[in-house]
Amino acid sequence: MNDSKQTRKFPFWSWFWFIIGVLYFILPLYATLDFSLRMERGVLSFKAYERAFSDPEFLRTFGYSVILALVTIIVSILITVPTAYWIRLRLPEARRIVEFITLLPFVIPAIILVFGMIYVYSSPLKFPFTNITLMQPLTTFTFGTDILIVGGYMVLGLPYMYRSVDTGMRTVDVRTLTEAAQSLGANWFTIISSVILPNLRTALLSGALLTFAIVVGEVILASFLGVPTFGPYLFLLGQHRAYEPAALTFTTFLLTWAAMGIIQLVTGGQGQTAGAH
Amino acid sequence: MAFLEINNINKQFGKAVAVKDFNLQVDKGEFVSFLGPSGCGKTTTLRMVAGFETPTNGNIVIESKDVTNKPPNQRDVGMVFQAYALFPNMTVAGNIGFGLKIAKKPAADIHKRVAEMLDLIHMPDFGDRYPYQLSGGQQQRVALARALALSPAILLLDEPLSALDAKIRVTLRAEIRGIQRKLGITTIYVTHDQEEALSLSDRVVVMHDGKIEQVGTPFEIYNFPQTDFVANFVGTLNAVNAEVVDPISNTLRMDGFQLQTAGGLEGRLSGDQVMIAIRPERLSFAAEEKKANILACTIENITFLGSIVRIQVHIGNTNFYMDTFNNPFLELPKIGDKSEVTCSREAVLILSTNK
Repeated sequence: MNDSKQTRKFPFWSWFWFIIGVLYFILPLYATLDFSLRMERGVLSFKAYERAFSDPEFLRTFGYSVILALVTIIVSILITVPTAYWIRLRLPEARRIVEFITLLPFVIPAIILVFGMIYVYSSPLKFPFTNITLMQPLTTFTFGTDILIVGGYMVLGLPYMYRSVDTGMRTVDVRTLTEAAQSLGANWFTIISSVILPNLRTALLSGALLTFAIVVGEVILASFLGVPTFGPYLFLLGQHRAYEPAALTFTTFLLTWAAMGIIQLVTGGQGQTAGAH
Repeated sequence: MAFLEINNINKQFGKAVAVKDFNLQVDKGEFVSFLGPSGCGKTTTLRMVAGFETPTNGNIVIESKDVTNKPPNQRDVGMVFQAYALFPNMTVAGNIGFGLKIAKKPAADIHKRVAEMLDLIHMPDFGDRYPYQLSGGQQQRVALARALALSPAILLLDEPLSALDAKIRVTLRAEIRGIQRKLGITTIYVTHDQEEALSLSDRVVVMHDGKIEQVGTPFEIYNFPQTDFVANFVGTLNAVNAEVVDPISNTLRMDGFQLQTAGGLEGRLSGDQVMIAIRPERLSFAAEEKKANILACTIENITFLGSIVRIQVHIGNTNFYMDTFNNPFLELPKIGDKSEVTCSREAVLILSTNK
């Protein structure tokens, strides 16, 4: 034992790259925090935070983004979980195609997506082969643009949500759990609600958090669809204010980390999986 | 009418035939094992009984009801999986009571039944634990209790001991058999482990390439294998070609030695080639007690296996295994020694005719 301790080398390069990585992430964050505290000359203060939080536009846009994020998360879960579940259970051959589709948001920029959406949904929806209008263009009323932006957010969050759910399903061996539940008399609804979803809690929270982060910070879709969310507000604020955007950026970062902490707290000790150990 | 009938079942996955012409009748309370190597169709057959696979043709009847096209949750079967498949989000009590909850039993009844099941598996104080807090053996016992809680008509076990270590396997298989006898539940057990199948079962179904090779009691399967595959797969076997000398007096010739068999040469002619088999434990040194067949040999190797000593002997041009009980007061021969081994007529089994 002592010999092995003495001969064990200090992992210099591991630590070197680890520290480089940490600095790469921490330094900009520290710079943002430092800058946000220097609104008053010569002293460190929370003045920028006070100003930013007292702006009613901040609360309105942030609240709007949070609501859109929650709707996006719920609809994404309702679509992604049954899809990933069915692919894993019955259609494994479709997995490659679906994985490819989920990667598309990485290669198709948001600007293309939003222009495509505007092009398609700025015309009224008509009954096929007739002139009967079923719905006015979605881009012409607030609820319509809300639907469009939630759809867009779902596309942007798809890689994260699908992969989180799929990885979660791999960890808990959904096929065997499903069969076990079936043999005990459970129907599909009971299997998904009582067995599958509770065991995907960590995966769903991870996917939800990432989707939340994307939605709250998103600028392009919201700007072009004219939806008054937090992203464009922060962008506009940055055009003519210096310290408040930094304060808000740091605040949203803290909120994200708080959410991650909550995930750790909620899921702590529950990460065990079914199957042999 | 049998309690479980599997009639002419076939199962194809694309062009691959997984199960072919499978017929079996199982009586109430019987313990039947499906034994065979990987890919022989034993698990597929079990999954068809459970309802997880649909037969390509044929039908499955449980208690006179055709269940071939019924979903798993309407078949009244309990299943235990190799990977335990306990619900990680539920406690032991929650797992055992899951099926009862689905069946909308009153809470008091569920509580009582869960307690009964915990007693049955000798884990009365484990109700509040989560699966990840249990060992593999404990998890599998909970899985067994969960499958039994609903008092199913048939219990299906798919290699339930494969993921466990050797000692726990032996203990748990005795527990499984004890519980099965106590409840008198009809049981189908899938395994590739011949020792498990032979020690647990009332009857063993040996499968190979999707087909049944032989159905019989463990005694019949081991002592009177009907096909080459069964003879080779179950237990260790010395299989060798021989020539029929006289089918009336049951005389054979093997590597220049005359051998007597107790029967099995009906319909064969002098000069026919047959495959014969002798179990290692049926051979002994001729110095101890001479039997019908005596063969000169050279000792090739000696392997100590604990309670048994396996001796490899060279007879003619063939190597044979011979098993003898370990006796610390008995002097074993040395490698290279010349000796004689002997076996009875009944020990020489005729497997098939080789043209």
